[in-house]
Amino acid sequence: MTSANKLLLLSLSSLIILALAPFAGLGDIANPALQSQILFDIRLPRTLFAFVAGSGLALCGMVFQAMFHNPLATPFTLGVASGASFGAALTVMLGINLSLLGLDAITLGAFIGALTAISFVYSISRLRYSFSTETLLLTGVATSFFFSSLILFTQYLSDVHDSFRIMRWLMGGLTISGYQQLLQLLPLVALSTGIMLWLSRELNLLMAGDDIAISRGVAVKRVRYLLFFTTSLCVGGIVALCGPIGFVGMMVPHICRLIIGTDHRWLIPATLMFGGGFLILCDTLARLVIAPAELPVGVITTLLGGPFFLWLLIRSRRQLA
Amino acid sequence: MIEVRQLYIQLHDKTLLSGINATLQQGEHLVVVGPNGAGKSTLLKALIGIIDSSGGDIEYRGKALNSYSQRALARLVSYVPQSSGHALPFDVEEFVKMSRYAHHTALSEWQPEDQAAVDDALRITNTEHFRKRQMSTLSGGECQRVMIAAALSQQTPIMLLDEPTSYLDPHHQVEVHQLIARLNQQLGITIIEVSHDINHAGQQGHKVMALADGECLWLGDGDAFLDAQRLRELYRQDFVFVTHPTSGRRMALPDPQ
Repeated sequence: MTSANKLLLLSLSSLIILALAPFAGLGDIANPALQSQILFDIRLPRTLFAFVAGSGLALCGMVFQAMFHNPLATPFTLGVASGASFGAALTVMLGINLSLLGLDAITLGAFIGALTAISFVYSISRLRYSFSTETLLLTGVATSFFFSSLILFTQYLSDVHDSFRIMRWLMGGLTISGYQQLLQLLPLVALSTGIMLWLSRELNLLMAGDDIAISRGVAVKRVRYLLFFTTSLCVGGIVALCGPIGFVGMMVPHICRLIIGTDHRWLIPATLMFGGGFLILCDTLARLVIAPAELPVGVITTLLGGPFFLWLLIRSRRQLA
Repeated sequence: MIEVRQLYIQLHDKTLLSGINATLQQGEHLVVVGPNGAGKSTLLKALIGIIDSSGGDIEYRGKALNSYSQRALARLVSYVPQSSGHALPFDVEEFVKMSRYAHHTALSEWQPEDQAAVDDALRITNTEHFRKRQMSTLSGGECQRVMIAAALSQQTPIMLLDEPTSYLDPHHQVEVHQLIARLNQQLGITIIEVSHDINHAGQQGHKVMALADGECLWLGDGDAFLDAQRLRELYRQDFVFVTHPTSGRRMALPDPQ
């Protein structure tokens, strides 16, 4: 099968999921007026939002995996999402209320937190002339712990109301209604996708290692900073709106790479489509498992992602040995 | 064509290279030798902009290295890194095609001359019959030839190679040496090659730079390089000299006494 056909198939399955998901669990409601209200005001925006958020998370994971030449490197394993969470939690606690270029305070806080975390992890990884998978992941774990304790500290200092809000949000959920959040996130993810597509040849060469990329003519430093900025914006925007939803950025690009290969000109659209469909699927599951109550979607993705992470770790160990 | 003056490189408070001077004309073949840790790879990485110099000048065609964009530099100089490539998740042709990056902008289409450059590179390095194989399945010799093919597809007048034969068996060493000689003599590519093979370095027609502890110990013609005193100073090791029975070339062998 050609890459184009594979992409078509992936996109089609995602679109089918996108089309069906809003109707899942709708049959229990008898009143047709209420049914259509739920469908158009709650389910549809939520499904679309899940698609956009899932795409964004998957694409950021894909970029991290390429930049660090490592399938285990994602915004979550490297502590970037924790940085973003802390930035957002701090903004909530301090009650900061401002907006810049259409981004609200929490998004800005999450963005700055993400950028801080990634700069930190990257500078640590640069301290040693070469760094191993272990060094990178341990740095990520340390960064995660560090920001998690800062979040706890923030929670401790907040009043009961804010504290609960932070805790619930940290579980990662898509409990949104209306189209406002969708409209807020869409431009961020669209911009990031555009930049990544623009840089798809550079991403291919980064997969081959920095030295090769530089010698082929890639201005690696500039590309890396641009990608740090882009992914921080994207992760920041998503984390601010629905909390840290883990492991989407690890599983989706890896599976897409197995299906369609490493060429980013195909991998980016594939990851975009599959990431969107995947998060919708997880969210639908989260809604239905203990209906009429619902789980935070982060619980589902982490339950799937944990074992996947271990599988990758064992596999990469075997390859090294 | 290449001019290095008083090159000085420091990294993490450690001096890796100092006071390096060299001038290379078009079509010359320079072999950089020296013990492990002498700064040979560092010199190549500085010449391609992977490591920034801390002092001194590197000039290509009379213009400072820093005045070239990385893209423009990649149309002038190509680089074959020390044994790598086995872990790359690409097939051979994909990888060689990627190396045409510098001849493109973000939106430009793949042109017939790009395909011609790739096909030529695969043909010259005798790798075209496994162009569809995954990099991870190649043997050491095949992989090294693909790495050279990728650099060749950049169509640069200068090529840097970091220990291209170090991990190869004798047959493949000869094969890669002959390939590099062809690139130099038939295509006129200026070569700078890092090597541990002193007899290869000491061939007629080569220029040799001997590095030790980040400094240039000697720079001169290949046939003058094989000297007992110089080799002892360079490697802290005695050498004896023999004449190759068929080619008649003078060769150095380490003397275990």
